[in-house]
Amino acid sequence: MTEETIKTKFSEPIFNRSHGRLLMPETRYWPTRMWKSPWRLPTYRRGAAVMAGILSGGAAAAWLLGEAGPRVAPLYSLAERYALQQGVPLFLVATVWTLIKAAVLLAVPLVNALFAVWWERKISAHMQSRMGPMYVGWWHGALQTVADGIKLFIKEDIVPECADKFVHLLAPVVVIIPAIVAFAPIPFGRELVYADLDIGTVYVFAVSGVSVMGIIMAGWSSGNKFSLLGGLRSAAQLVSYELPRTFSVIPVIMLAGTLNLSAIAGLQAGYWGGLLPRWFIFYPVVGQVAFAVFLIASVAETNRIPFDIPEAESELVAGFNTEYSGMKFALFFLSEFAYVLLSCLLMAAFFFGGGQPPLPFLGFLPSWAWFLAKTLTLIFCFLWFRWTFPRFRVDRLMNFNWKFLLPVSLLNIAAAGVLIWLLS
Amino acid sequence: MIEQIVFYLLAAVIVLSALGVVLLRNVMHSALSLGLCLAGVAGIFASLGSDFVFAAQILVYVGGIAVLILFVVLLAGSASDLITRQINSQWLPSLVICAAFIWSYLRITAYFSGIAAKSAPAPTVRAIAGAMLGDYAVPFELISVVLLASMTGAALFARRKEE
Repeated sequence: MTEETIKTKFSEPIFNRSHGRLLMPETRYWPTRMWKSPWRLPTYRRGAAVMAGILSGGAAAAWLLGEAGPRVAPLYSLAERYALQQGVPLFLVATVWTLIKAAVLLAVPLVNALFAVWWERKISAHMQSRMGPMYVGWWHGALQTVADGIKLFIKEDIVPECADKFVHLLAPVVVIIPAIVAFAPIPFGRELVYADLDIGTVYVFAVSGVSVMGIIMAGWSSGNKFSLLGGLRSAAQLVSYELPRTFSVIPVIMLAGTLNLSAIAGLQAGYWGGLLPRWFIFYPVVGQVAFAVFLIASVAETNRIPFDIPEAESELVAGFNTEYSGMKFALFFLSEFAYVLLSCLLMAAFFFGGGQPPLPFLGFLPSWAWFLAKTLTLIFCFLWFRWTFPRFRVDRLMNFNWKFLLPVSLLNIAAAGVLIWLLS
Repeated sequence: MIEQIVFYLLAAVIVLSALGVVLLRNVMHSALSLGLCLAGVAGIFASLGSDFVFAAQILVYVGGIAVLILFVVLLAGSASDLITRQINSQWLPSLVICAAFIWSYLRITAYFSGIAAKSAPAPTVRAIAGAMLGDYAVPFELISVVLLASMTGAALFARRKEE
């Protein structure tokens, strides 16, 4: 093919079934020539159209569904009235109601993992000009994660000979339970919260810190030196990064004057000059520094690249979860994605105004839709980091935390004090 | 009724895991049951309705102290840690001393027992903050100075001697 044909005519992509690679002629000249005029690529145009369709369709669906939070209380009173008519005791109604709410909350990390794993694979594939999963499901391998889940269910559960059987069994449980329980005080929109705790912020940080124990248990009980090293590294890393992560939120708590997550999200309503939203990330210097520290520490807390030292595939053969198979391994995976979602929900609530629309005229969409949109954007950032940055070295990881992030977050608390003094 | 069931369940967890800490042969199992014991204490705090103490207990003890102890066990452990009996021949006198302490403790706390506590967590953060940074500001700051001094001392001792 000559130079001229490449410039004038872009052919359709040929999907190679043996490698799953895009075999367009122009991808050979990636990225220089292809990105000179990307809109001339039919695939590029089609992809943009699909993305616009998904976004506008989602927005239309959210607009049609409307605000979900205020509908919950009437539903409960309806159930109560029905129970009174039938002579069912009211505490039974309350118990069943709590169980239903708990089941809905439990579904959040599960559905999130189904979606996020597929999304991560697609994003990583497209960043490396591959296609990713394409066969299972009707559209772009949409059901790939479901198939993977079924595969994990029917896999053999292998326990190593020299493992400590009981601790080995318990470790995934200790990892996953805090990951689910930590979602309790998270507001998913206006009035959409399982338990509106007054100490929501402290609760989330406290409970999510317990998972470290499970990781150490997994690393030790596997009876494998790579797993043990992974467990040790994770203990050091997670305990260390917990500190700047918690300290970076303190300016937000100081500005908000409350620990209640839905109250923090609700306080960021309104606009400066009718245009710039009053989100905490837009508070001069303090907000941006706090967000940056929180983002970095959150990536480290979720064991993801560039901070995936505990499970470095190439040096520790996946670290603490090497000896796990089947659903036990899936639980570790699930908790990792649950923590990614939790971090993104927290960031949306702390720094991006929760369910507040970014511009005043966009208020026609319900608050849960904005919350979801912000959270998904932040999750995309997490996945983007993973496929962009190389891994940190262990000593640099620790130095970066103790000698840079921690002092910066402490200074930021002092700066927040100055800012509050200036504002008052 | 439900409060009592929850209390006795948590108490059973605490007592059994505390016994596990001193009786189990494997030091790793002991450390893990210490974590369970501390979590059980946090559960007691939650069932008494003090939300902040519950969260602080989980944050500091289960997520911090227990993890550090596990870390130390993994780093500084030896092979004999996994099989050595933790009890020596002096177990009978120590049991007597423990019994004496428990008896005196029961006598002290008998005055307060049976006082009903709230079962639902009530907001306590504002009151705690007011007490710590208002009425008890000086002791609070003094404690933080003492902690800072001990931390500096620990760092000094842990530092490697220069050749």
